[in-house]
Amino acid sequence: MSHSTTGKTLNLKLRVWRQKDNASRGEFRDYALVGISTEMSFLEMLDILNEQLLQQGEEPVNFDHDCREGICGTCSLMINGQAHGPDNGTTTCQLHMRRFHDGQMITIEPWRAKAFPVIRDLVVDRSAFDRIIQAGGYVSVRTGQAPEANSVPISKNDQESALDAAVCIGCGACVASCKNASAMLFVAAKVSHLAQLPQGAPERAARVLGMVGQMDSEEFGNCTNTSECEAACPAGVSVTHIARLNREYAKALYGSPLGLKGELLTSSGTGGD
Amino acid sequence: MSWLLATLRSSVGKKFVMGGTGLFLCFFLVVHLAGNLLLYAGPDAYNSYANKLHENVALLIVAEIGLFGAMLLHIYLAFVTASENRAARGATDYAMRQSKIPGRVIHVAGLAPDTTMYITGALIFGYIALHLCDFKFEVFADAAQLAADPYTKAAMVLSSTSRKVIYAIAAIVVGIHVSHGFASAFQSLGLNHPKYMPTIKTISKVFGVAVAIGFGSFVTWDGQRRCGCESPATMETAPTTMPSTAPAAATESAPAPTTPAETVPQS
Amino acid sequence: MSSDSSTLLNSRVPGGPIEQKWDSFKRDQKLVAPNSRRKYEVIVVGTGLAGAAAAASLAEMGYKVKVFCFQDSPRRAHSIAAQGGINAAKNYHNDGDSVWRLFVDTVKGGDFRAREANVYRLAQLSENIIDQCVAQGVPFAREYGGTLANRTFGGTQVSRTFYARGQTGQQLLIGAYQALMRQVAGGNATLYARREMLDLVTVDGVARGIVCRNLTTGKIESHAAHAVLLCTGGYGNVFYLSTNAKGCNVTAAWRAHKRGALFGNPCYTQIHPTCIPVTGDHQSKLTLMSESLRNDGRVWVPKQANDPRTPSQIPEGERDYYLERRYPAYGNMVPRDVASRAAKERCDAGYGVGSSKLSVYLDFSRAIKEQGEAAIRGKYGNLFHMYQKITDENPYQSPMRIYPAVHYTMGGLWVDYHLESTIPGMFVLGEANFSDHGANRLGASALMQGLADGYFIAPYTVSNHLASRKLPEVTDAHPRFREVAEEARMRLQRLLSIDGKRSVDSYHRELGQIMWNYCGMSRNAAGLNTAIGKITSLREDFWRNVNVPGVGENLNQSLELGGRVADFLEFGELMCRDALAREESAGGHFREEHQTADNEAKRDDEKFAHVAAWEYLGEGTQEKRHVEPLTFEFCPLQVRNYK
Repeated sequence: MSHSTTGKTLNLKLRVWRQKDNASRGEFRDYALVGISTEMSFLEMLDILNEQLLQQGEEPVNFDHDCREGICGTCSLMINGQAHGPDNGTTTCQLHMRRFHDGQMITIEPWRAKAFPVIRDLVVDRSAFDRIIQAGGYVSVRTGQAPEANSVPISKNDQESALDAAVCIGCGACVASCKNASAMLFVAAKVSHLAQLPQGAPERAARVLGMVGQMDSEEFGNCTNTSECEAACPAGVSVTHIARLNREYAKALYGSPLGLKGELLTSSGTGGD
Repeated sequence: MSWLLATLRSSVGKKFVMGGTGLFLCFFLVVHLAGNLLLYAGPDAYNSYANKLHENVALLIVAEIGLFGAMLLHIYLAFVTASENRAARGATDYAMRQSKIPGRVIHVAGLAPDTTMYITGALIFGYIALHLCDFKFEVFADAAQLAADPYTKAAMVLSSTSRKVIYAIAAIVVGIHVSHGFASAFQSLGLNHPKYMPTIKTISKVFGVAVAIGFGSFVTWDGQRRCGCESPATMETAPTTMPSTAPAAATESAPAPTTPAETVPQS
Repeated sequence: MSSDSSTLLNSRVPGGPIEQKWDSFKRDQKLVAPNSRRKYEVIVVGTGLAGAAAAASLAEMGYKVKVFCFQDSPRRAHSIAAQGGINAAKNYHNDGDSVWRLFVDTVKGGDFRAREANVYRLAQLSENIIDQCVAQGVPFAREYGGTLANRTFGGTQVSRTFYARGQTGQQLLIGAYQALMRQVAGGNATLYARREMLDLVTVDGVARGIVCRNLTTGKIESHAAHAVLLCTGGYGNVFYLSTNAKGCNVTAAWRAHKRGALFGNPCYTQIHPTCIPVTGDHQSKLTLMSESLRNDGRVWVPKQANDPRTPSQIPEGERDYYLERRYPAYGNMVPRDVASRAAKERCDAGYGVGSSKLSVYLDFSRAIKEQGEAAIRGKYGNLFHMYQKITDENPYQSPMRIYPAVHYTMGGLWVDYHLESTIPGMFVLGEANFSDHGANRLGASALMQGLADGYFIAPYTVSNHLASRKLPEVTDAHPRFREVAEEARMRLQRLLSIDGKRSVDSYHRELGQIMWNYCGMSRNAAGLNTAIGKITSLREDFWRNVNVPGVGENLNQSLELGGRVADFLEFGELMCRDALAREESAGGHFREEHQTADNEAKRDDEKFAHVAAWEYLGEGTQEKRHVEPLTFEFCPLQVRNYK
């Protein structure tokens, strides 16, 4: 606690995945860093590395990041084999160097999944997630068409539970940490969010069938209920939402005209350029 | 029929089949264990149970088709999902992987039930083959054994030391497999509820232990002495057939082999 | 300093009583028939609340929308980080709220430097926004009876802020993003992610497209359209350290400015009072702690300067709750500019706490005692969690330490009532425009403005533009696109070819330090002149000595940053010039020469009740200051008083 750590510094050995572009083969390269303050965030440590590489005439390491406050879902990184590093409920940008010890070797890899191809170094393409949302992760309501907000009461419990799922930041840690590279937690978060609200009810069958179909055609793996996704999820989305997704899917597949007719069971991505 | 195809083709549908067949096979395990426990009640009880079971041939055929069907689907989907799951990681695997679940270790030596379903499943598959050879097809039986009553037959098979070892290990492996599979099936079928899931998980573990102890106990069963067939050499004949198929793998999970690239985590 | 009350700045505010202006616009506007809409292409740059909402709404109407963002997905835009909430005059709490009161609060909160008609429209539309978002499935906080809950925010005496825990911005953005994804699936919107707009293309003086860089392949792409909407956010990152995301930049707005769009009030920046203090030189960004925390947290410093004791050792009687002392009527809930300056005043006087002495306490002990830890956790759990992550201190046990940080920019591209810039056909929405917040934005109003602009204003005004202007057919084969693309390519080439010694980041840090020291929470003429000199020489050094490694033909984050910092180095100077020209204190702009005896901001309504909008006149020529006079017919000018 408190400021006992101020002024402490670490010397580190980094093993970083470098890959020029998707077509090239990648490899690990080793770098040494000295005098890293324990107050730094993990990404600030990488900033220092990049400054050092620039001075040495080597190209800086490319990595995705944006808000640096844990909410945008842009940052990623497999740090010593753990998605977003060792802390639960934390994104890489909120991970601090006080979590590491002097002399430690840190292995940094990109998210690895067939559906998340590497673009460069530690940057991967997560547009599969956008295509999954396009396949039904919304409520079809025209702008200006909405009824008065309080006309449909929603119990506090339902709202809180929906929000528990809606907090997903779409970072992909669930896919990265799953031994099968399954996207079930991501898909479940959206299905569960909208399935628990009256606004989401009219399209629930189409939504779950469409989103699961898209997930499958993006070639994510299958869920085997190991719960690694839940442990890696920085937003704390629980695997109970996966169970709700399964339930929704069963209802849609066996209980709705859409499912029985076999519509929406496979979909192909639209959009993008 | 497209909903049926979707059940077998979509990732979530496959989980329904895995979970459904898994739970069905769990139910069979319970029935099988209950029947076997009659061995402790003595030859009369057990033989009359076995004979009664075989009187209704139609029922038996339907049950056996159901069991084999469930088992084959379960195994088939295990292979399909496992190969899909391997492909889903992409061409390059991680150089290093560690679990973020407190206390769990991901590597070959860490036999967490939920990450080794593929291995336990494969072992069970091998065991079932042997078990069927022993009791259903009686491949290794001599004339004495073929002629024996069900109770004596069981005693004769279990009198061999190698069988004792194999059956004991198999009981433990099945126990491990179902200890994850039972609870997992509820999750896959969407029957997870925050209130009941901890109970289901506990039941699942208890079930696993019960299966391991229950089936494992027969290697210490003294039926051999009671019917005088302590050693294979003293086996006698008795005419009957054996009711059992086999304790089948009960899981809904799609296990993949632990990836060789997964390394021992650092401290 | 030349200042013209210019004919360039026609605000096009409809006549009549303020309550009827928007209706009167809608009555008189031109429409595009449903069948004709698919013939029109609209470019939307940026996918925050304003951009995503506008793109979704326009695509839904039937226009062909092309939507661009530099992030890997539209869902990453920095609107996502807004924590506290969104205002709406629903009066669900029966505490006397109304559209009129929200209007007055916003005009007053903005220190009478906003355009009345725009603010009134914003207040009117606030109610529709909540309806729209709820219909999209945004899980706003609820009462036990199932109706929507509200909380209080700074600068108001009513509860009108709707929220979803401490992540309201995330939920609203996801709602807009989903609406946009629906349109992408339907084929009316096309998504171009990982694209950075590098320039605006005008043909015959009308905005007809953009040139952008595909950040994955490095390819320079041209896109033609019938209208261009910039929804590219604010320029707070000119300070290097801010609560903005690292990618936030002024490039799109600045490029459009250089093509003829006037820049309004660039000196108005909001310094948010409750951020986590800086810990060291390595710091890359600052993290906001929602203003909503001031509902239950009390701000204090020790009464004794340089008090070495820990907070728990300081007895109640020796604590100075300076906001409650100075502003008894609003107490801890004074507007942001007031709270920030008060914190700076205490720290400058030597009462600051923490190792840097540049922070004050935000104390929850009374609230925890009165309401219980569980209740506080329910309201602010994720914020407390984030605070602990960053500082390694437990705010349930000891008070948070906070200090002001750059958060939002009220200035932006000048727009008229239609949200159209001085370049016909180019609209500017959300934080990127200057319009609704005057010199200071009230909490929970940014989300409101972004969504009002995107969902409810642009669809009407863009249609009016398309229907009323003759727009000859222009494709990206037009020579103007080739010229502009070539200029953009040359500029990138120039950055890559300098091959100097210093990193882009080091220039950015140095610029930020200059801006914070001389154009930050308080400003004076001498300092601003110093800053202008320093920025000029830093800019010259940048173009001689910067090191942008790699090539332009693949993902190159150094090159992306290089282009953005180059623009900040030009923009920073304009900010200082605007701050220098505005010889008064108003809202977020505090000139030390203009303050009252008790250190409050002193406006000069005689000379400065206007919008300053700057016109770019070419490289090396000083920009020209134009003026749009502001009149306050409906909310009469008064001295802001939160005492």
